[in-house]
Amino acid sequence: MNDKRRLLLPDEDGHYSSESLAMDRALRRALPQGSHPIDSLAREIAERETRRRFFSRAARGIGALALGSLAAENSRAASAEQKAIGGLPGLPNFAPKAKRCLYFHLVGAPPQMETFDYKPKMADMFDKDLPESIRNGQRLTTMTSGQTRFPIAPSVFKFQQYGKSGAWVSDLLPYTARMVDDIAIVRSMHTDAINHEPALTFFQTGQMVAGRPCMGAWLSYGLGSMNQSLPTFVVLQANHKNPKANVQAISARMWSAGFLGGQYAGVTLRSTGDAVLFLNNPDGVPSEMRRRMLDSLAQMNQLEYAKLGDPETRTRIAQYEMAFRMQSSAPELTDLSKEPDSTFTAYGEDSRTPGSFAQSCLMARRLAERGVRFVQVYHRGWDVHGDLPEVLASQCKEVDQSMYALVQDLKQRGMLDDTLVILAGEFGRTIYCQGKLTQTNYGRDHHPRCFSLWMAGGGIKGGVVHGETDEFSYNITQDPVHVRDFQATILHLFGIDHERFSYQYQGLDVRLTGVEKADVVKQILT
Amino acid sequence: MFYRPMLLVAAALSIGGALEAQTAKIDFERQIRPILSENCFQCHGPDADGRQANLRLDQRETAFAARPHGAPLVAGNSAGSLLYKRITEPNAALRMPPAYSRRSLTPDQIALLKRWIDEGAIWKEHWSFQPPVEPKLPSVTNPAWRSPIDRLLLANLEAKGLAPAAAADSRTLIRRLALTLTGLPPKPSEVEAFLADTAPGSYERMVDRYLASPHYGEQRAHYWLDAVRYADTNGIHFDNYREIWPYRDWVISAFNRNESYKQFSIDQIAGDLLPNPTLDQQIATGFQRNGVTTNEAGIIEDEYAEIYAKDRADTFGSVFLGLTVGCATCHDHKFDPILQKDFYALGAFFRNTPQRIMDGNTSDQPPFVVVPREQDRARWAQIQTRETALAKELSHARDAAAEPFSSWRSEQVEPPTPIDPKDIIYTADLNTLSMSGADLKIDEAPVGGDRALFFTKSGGASDPKPPKPDSEKPFSIAVSFLSPKGGNYNIAAQQNSKEKNRGWVLDASNHLASFRLIGDGGDSIEIRAALDEIRPATWNYIVATYDGSRAQSGLELYLNGQAIATQGRNNANTKLNGGISVDDPLTLGKSLADGAIADFRMADRVITKSEAQLWGDGELARFLLHDYAPYKALAAEQEKLDHDAREILLHAATTPVMQERTDQKPFAYTLYRGAYDQRRERVDAATPSALPPMPASLPRNRLGLAQWLFSNGQPLTARVAVNRMWQEIFGIGLVRTADDFGSQGEPPVNQKLLDWLAVDFERSGWDVKRFYRQILLSAAYRQSAATTPEKLKLDPENRLISRGPRFRMDAEMLRDYVLASSGMLAPQVGGPSVKPYQPDGVWEAVAMLGSNTRFYKQDAGSGLYRRSLYSLWKRAAPPASLEILNAPTRESCTIRRERTDTPLQALVTMNDVQFVEAARTLAGSSMENSLAFSARLAYLSSHILMRPLALPEQAIARKAYDDFEHYYAAHPDDAHKLLDFGERKGDPGLPASQYAALTMLANQMFNLDEALNQ
Repeated sequence: MNDKRRLLLPDEDGHYSSESLAMDRALRRALPQGSHPIDSLAREIAERETRRRFFSRAARGIGALALGSLAAENSRAASAEQKAIGGLPGLPNFAPKAKRCLYFHLVGAPPQMETFDYKPKMADMFDKDLPESIRNGQRLTTMTSGQTRFPIAPSVFKFQQYGKSGAWVSDLLPYTARMVDDIAIVRSMHTDAINHEPALTFFQTGQMVAGRPCMGAWLSYGLGSMNQSLPTFVVLQANHKNPKANVQAISARMWSAGFLGGQYAGVTLRSTGDAVLFLNNPDGVPSEMRRRMLDSLAQMNQLEYAKLGDPETRTRIAQYEMAFRMQSSAPELTDLSKEPDSTFTAYGEDSRTPGSFAQSCLMARRLAERGVRFVQVYHRGWDVHGDLPEVLASQCKEVDQSMYALVQDLKQRGMLDDTLVILAGEFGRTIYCQGKLTQTNYGRDHHPRCFSLWMAGGGIKGGVVHGETDEFSYNITQDPVHVRDFQATILHLFGIDHERFSYQYQGLDVRLTGVEKADVVKQILT
Repeated sequence: MFYRPMLLVAAALSIGGALEAQTAKIDFERQIRPILSENCFQCHGPDADGRQANLRLDQRETAFAARPHGAPLVAGNSAGSLLYKRITEPNAALRMPPAYSRRSLTPDQIALLKRWIDEGAIWKEHWSFQPPVEPKLPSVTNPAWRSPIDRLLLANLEAKGLAPAAAADSRTLIRRLALTLTGLPPKPSEVEAFLADTAPGSYERMVDRYLASPHYGEQRAHYWLDAVRYADTNGIHFDNYREIWPYRDWVISAFNRNESYKQFSIDQIAGDLLPNPTLDQQIATGFQRNGVTTNEAGIIEDEYAEIYAKDRADTFGSVFLGLTVGCATCHDHKFDPILQKDFYALGAFFRNTPQRIMDGNTSDQPPFVVVPREQDRARWAQIQTRETALAKELSHARDAAAEPFSSWRSEQVEPPTPIDPKDIIYTADLNTLSMSGADLKIDEAPVGGDRALFFTKSGGASDPKPPKPDSEKPFSIAVSFLSPKGGNYNIAAQQNSKEKNRGWVLDASNHLASFRLIGDGGDSIEIRAALDEIRPATWNYIVATYDGSRAQSGLELYLNGQAIATQGRNNANTKLNGGISVDDPLTLGKSLADGAIADFRMADRVITKSEAQLWGDGELARFLLHDYAPYKALAAEQEKLDHDAREILLHAATTPVMQERTDQKPFAYTLYRGAYDQRRERVDAATPSALPPMPASLPRNRLGLAQWLFSNGQPLTARVAVNRMWQEIFGIGLVRTADDFGSQGEPPVNQKLLDWLAVDFERSGWDVKRFYRQILLSAAYRQSAATTPEKLKLDPENRLISRGPRFRMDAEMLRDYVLASSGMLAPQVGGPSVKPYQPDGVWEAVAMLGSNTRFYKQDAGSGLYRRSLYSLWKRAAPPASLEILNAPTRESCTIRRERTDTPLQALVTMNDVQFVEAARTLAGSSMENSLAFSARLAYLSSHILMRPLALPEQAIARKAYDDFEHYYAAHPDDAHKLLDFGERKGDPGLPASQYAALTMLANQMFNLDEALNQ
């Protein structure tokens, strides 16, 4: 039985033997539509063993392994060589297109009719009432449900067509306009939620109430890590600049791992203080002292292990070594002094400012290079209930150039092919005005029925504009894409069948995409 | 196809060997039901809507009942059982479970089912729904294992051929015990006293000492606070401060008083419904007010009403029943006999409350109680009683005044007010105000003259030269207004928009009136009041007063004579900073479209309650308050009471409580697929139908629900409670899934023991301390934690207790451990939450701009060193180092914490200033204690590990220390930096290089696996 059991478990590098994988394939063939019926308890054992084996290797190396140089080596590893450590047997289900994802979320929800969803007819409808036939019983937030009128506010920003695809992009996004042939614009997103907290949580976790694992956690859990000195899933919180911007809260529930376990949760990379919380040694403790302390600590822990025989002691020794490696590699990660001036020119001068959106873009690229699988960037200030023309212009300016630079940078480095880049908000905004409407100023309320986002790289076809909305940008008229479809598509790009990727929790096979139908958006795939 | 059985074998092994003997009779509960549950119940289980072929396999009657083609199960005859036929059906299209279900049976499972049917298909109801029965105690051979708990454990060990571990040594034992009971390490003096006590019963005496420690309640509370999702903020959107720490104090005190589990539970579920509830019993109901709430503009209230009710039902279900009732939100439970209707009927108990959905972003969300300081409670109670009586007496006096009043004539000029005209420093002259969008109308005002300003559209009126009230002085305003139908409007304000709105404002929005004073830098105090009483298009008068105390309790609002402030008045923590005086104009009626303002006055003192009550009564008011002695005397008393009440409120806290609506009985609607706007059947509050019914004698409200939990024949209440306590002691429950005793949860690893504990606990009168004592006295608990390869193989997780418990401490305990070991711990028990060290920007990164938990302002002094359960818990960003160590966000009920082991945790315990400061403080003490390194090392070791180091350990430590010391001698700057790290600086008189080196060594020892484990 022990022999059989070993088949299940990864070897010391965290890989699964070809024998075990062959069995896994045979099993799947035998079950035409079968899932991977892993008993949750057995899986728990397998996971523990994975951890233990992986780290026992690290533990053996104490004193012998030149850890510092290993970290440096790791950071230089070309993206093509990044291999998975850990992860579930049987995953990915098929050859993935994307190895990593850089996901930029614009918290507050940018208006689609000022960015990608061009509605020329609205120009003639200034201050006219939105027809009841269009609104069609749509539930409203209680911020505008008391309004007596729903006057149409046409975008004050002009649109033009760009690229071979002829995609319409507003003047607010001149850089993005230049790369429309690199990206796929989806104009027919829709969601179930009407307010920020639930909508964000829904986007990230597939459920509106907190408690479920988010996308980054699912991928970390399913596919494992691609590096040995940085977290698998990193979260960045970029500052916004315009003090007039209406800011929404975010919270750890958006990068939580829910029932998958805290080790899969997002780790925040900070722009001030320690890059990772508590990463830096106390003042007056240089790295060599920490190294010395860790060697001594490990020796004493070995004695404890000899005395009690608890395998957790060895895991702990290994985790301290991992911590040290993280300490050694993070400064290299966050040290931008070696980036040439051309980098900052490309990402914009803002990218020299810690915590700016532009620097987050640059940092995302650096994280991707170092084998971080999922980078989630949050940028706040997009909740344009009022003063939209002014606030939106400044928000767009913050993201436009640096996102363009990021995509071009990845392309140049040969990483765009296997790096998925996403720019999205949690819902859209109403064509009708919230508050006072003038020719030059207005605001927009929340609108879950349609909104736009773009994706690029990692198996996404460039130059695609997917989906259409009516002339009011109010209802979708073609190719609706639900948040679940979006999630299914991301998993698909990572080589995962969203219907087969589940976790047994409270007796149910819980999936990121939930129980309702979700479709991969094939039209935007390469 | 041999993948799956292998997995099952591995799984079975880990839960204690269900397959130990192929020859033993098959156990339905352990071996068969899980297969059926996993593979069949989804379509043939309790969920009526999802049920296929009208076949139900989770109940004995239906599973054995005849159907057109035979019975699913025929005892003793697998060939004749439809179930067996269908799972072995050669035609894949007919075989069960169907391919689309993505479930499949392995050959081993099929063989098991066959054997079970052929053995007679013995069917038992799910174990946890049968009341526990006291088992017969097995006979065992080991004489040291004589207690019932030991015998029940040992029988299983012996069946496996495992021998218990040797008894732990005394030092290990006292450390383990102190941590279990108090969450703190024993003091070296306590260790030595225990070692020196050689008289019989020394261990028992030590157990009793720690049970009597005030820290016992704190340690129990930190687990309970997870279960009840305790936190200090509202959770969603603004995530503002919520004052509910008196509930935490109550929990600590209830454990310390050893309140029975029964009373403890009843108080929390329904303390407010008990006859003459004490203040404590009301505070206890905060259990149900610990949920996440929101004030996000735009939310749909019905939706959140459902979310709040579900949170309460889920929490109740997990904590008291160990059932995942929330799984029946959208449909009948797939695996357990909980109907969708049951879920809503259970939730109904908790939603019959006057609590508003929008929390108002204030710290005191009604309903709440005021919790005065201990020394004020008697006077507070007196005031409450007297106020009620006084109100009646005032009313009588007023009635009696009718006659004398008719013969009294005022010499007042118009319009008369209850207060002396000289105290009125300002009366708005409606004729001279500058107006926009307002019309002056004559003969329209109800009181105080004949003029009123009507606002026909969004507009207002203003006076550029009003008086300028300031923070240090009292002032009051009184104004009549005609209310529009709703919306947001200013009644009156005097503010500087360029200076963060400094000034004062009286406004109304969403049927809430608010009186707010804004000081320098935007700090403000504010009270709010519901305007539910206001009818559209009627005249009302409002009086707002401020007593110059800078405190929220110094504000008051009266509407038509009634004190109406419902929120904010009692928050002692918020203070007004700086001045409020501005040069800006007074504005009246801004945005008061379709409304009107009349008779605006300002006084330079607090308008008293009696005056405010009579404000609308013109001449009668003058008479009663100035010329009618009986009324005047009572009014004076009222003023005194009011004054005293305000004094008490200055130091009091508030805490949210449960209240029952009296205008309706508890009910709910079932919701189609859980959607708030898809109401279906109306259901009355009821307990889950699969559990013993509620006795008819119990009321159908929360009190009845609480008493039902403790009524006869309840299968779950005691088991769930004892399992949770077992989990605290041994790190993992007898039922691993401590929050799920349903059929998808794990069956108990030792049901006899679980049942014995449950029966014994109930019989003891739910005596909690006795329960802990009994387990801690067992030989099982007192074993050494040393393991063997054999035990790792047969009992890898120590579920069978083949050795002493050993597992990493909880986040709070890890931090408290270093604080206590180093002597830095501030020992105060209870009180408001504190803000210890936290890296900059943790709150700010996630908070809303207007949130009052956006900037983390670290405490100074003892606030840095209190026990971790007092750390202010912001749900969107819990205390950073605790969260990394697996402390939950407290957004929902947590019965089982994760216990991961990650590099980020190592960074906390090595680098967090709290841990470094503790290491340095301990290092300093060791140096003050002795000069020799060996003695200093012994000092560190006795405080960190409660034992002397062995020789090889000493050698390792010495070598490291020499290297550290060598380095710091050569780098004095680094030494000083390390000694200056944190708020509490190192003693400058100590030799720096030794001090820094010892600090490193202490830091190293605090990071030993031994130190991190309990």
